[in-house]
Amino acid sequence: MSHAAALLTASHGHAQKRARPLLGTLVEISGSGASQHAIGSAIDQAFDAVASIHALMSYHDPASDVSRLNRMGAGTMAVHPHTWQVLEMARALATVSQGLFDISIVPTLVHHGYLPRHTGFPQPAAGANWQHIELLPHHQVRLTQALHLDLGGIAKGYATDCAIRALREAGAVSGRVNAGGDLGLFGEMPETIHVRHPNAPTQLLPLCQLQNGAVATSSSYYTRRQVNGRMVSPLINTRTGQPCTESRSVSVLADSCMLADALTKVVFAHPEQALAVLTHFGAHAIIIDALPEASPNYRVRASEAGHWREIPMDLPEVPTP
Amino acid sequence: MNHPPVWLIAPALAALVAAPAYAVQYMTIEQAQKQFFPHADTFTLSPVALSPEQKAFVEKAAGVRMRYTRQPVWKVMAGGKHTGWVVQDEVFGKHEFITYAVALDLSGTVRGVEILDYRETHGREVRNANWRAQFEGKQHGAPLRLDNDIQNISGATLSSKHISEGVRRILALHETALK
Repeated sequence: MSHAAALLTASHGHAQKRARPLLGTLVEISGSGASQHAIGSAIDQAFDAVASIHALMSYHDPASDVSRLNRMGAGTMAVHPHTWQVLEMARALATVSQGLFDISIVPTLVHHGYLPRHTGFPQPAAGANWQHIELLPHHQVRLTQALHLDLGGIAKGYATDCAIRALREAGAVSGRVNAGGDLGLFGEMPETIHVRHPNAPTQLLPLCQLQNGAVATSSSYYTRRQVNGRMVSPLINTRTGQPCTESRSVSVLADSCMLADALTKVVFAHPEQALAVLTHFGAHAIIIDALPEASPNYRVRASEAGHWREIPMDLPEVPTP
Repeated sequence: MNHPPVWLIAPALAALVAAPAYAVQYMTIEQAQKQFFPHADTFTLSPVALSPEQKAFVEKAAGVRMRYTRQPVWKVMAGGKHTGWVVQDEVFGKHEFITYAVALDLSGTVRGVEILDYRETHGREVRNANWRAQFEGKQHGAPLRLDNDIQNISGATLSSKHISEGVRRILALHETALK
């Protein structure tokens, strides 16, 4: 064994990496710990955490908190503290972004075929939006109008945060949770995060170095499709009700993966207005646009102090400070 | 905040390189079996060969095409009693090729799903049987990872729709061939 490999084994202990289909995507959880048994059990607990968030916040599952709210119509009911916490963050994001982030755009997603229509649920009231969701003490939620909500734009990030917490609490030395692009990690070494080229998703581009934190990426390369001769995607500009179908990828770095996940939708919907929202939440965003030119065939912008800064492609490598 | 400020993030983009196809092995079928049934004594390979009638049943019940008539299945024994099944399966989409294992109890209830191998390509290779065949038998040997450096992909969601369809197909197979 080389010296470097010996060091790696000593500091990382026993490592494992597993993946399961959850949250409508593939969830990969990896980590290292004192023994194979310890890390195996930590990963089990992290998957359990993801599965419980899935059960609470799935739009499809009729027994989830989300379905119970969607079935209720106007009224008040108690939800699980996890659900309440996500709704609270969704509300803060909707308020700060002036509705660019809105969990009540279900009718648009149903219209474009990204979510199924639940039979027997009360029709959402015309014009109902996030402002008709009130959060009350004791995890009570009041809908002042019948509406259909979907936490698909934020719950994956929250599930990632919960899985990271489970790994830490179970004593993992390092850990990584990747829920279809919502990525959280912690450990002793910074790691390079890659993103997909928005026009060639199997081509990977290095994005940044991250040691402890969260990054989420949204793009429509896997999900956009033609409906009645028109390109649609599940990323909706809430102001216009129109799907965003640009060959673009948006990555956000933030303190929590829940925040990063949700902020990608705000940046996608309106990059200029998103700048103030990013600043408010202390987050950073990187936009990669595919270009028709041969080389470079993409353009990169990063948010910096309330502006989008173009990242030149021919920068020399900057030595690590 | 723990992540670096953006001026440290950006220069990484200067060194843009297109990576080769991404592939990762999560576990072998033997590891998956032990994961699903830690108290089992034996896992006996008893592959299912579907008759044309059974194949038609599976396709109708699951609403998906059955591409093979043979499916690798292991019979799980614990304390001398038959306690369940482990089924290995594969699915592929436009860019990905995934092998996975499903644990069933005797009533045909899913006890767990674990991904064994995940491979991404540039699209053309996935539908090519020869390309897929080169990976067969690999999962018992050394981990197959085409690029060890790429561990963190923050990419937009890849749907698990194919796996959901595959699990439906396996449940239908249990109904017609394992009951």
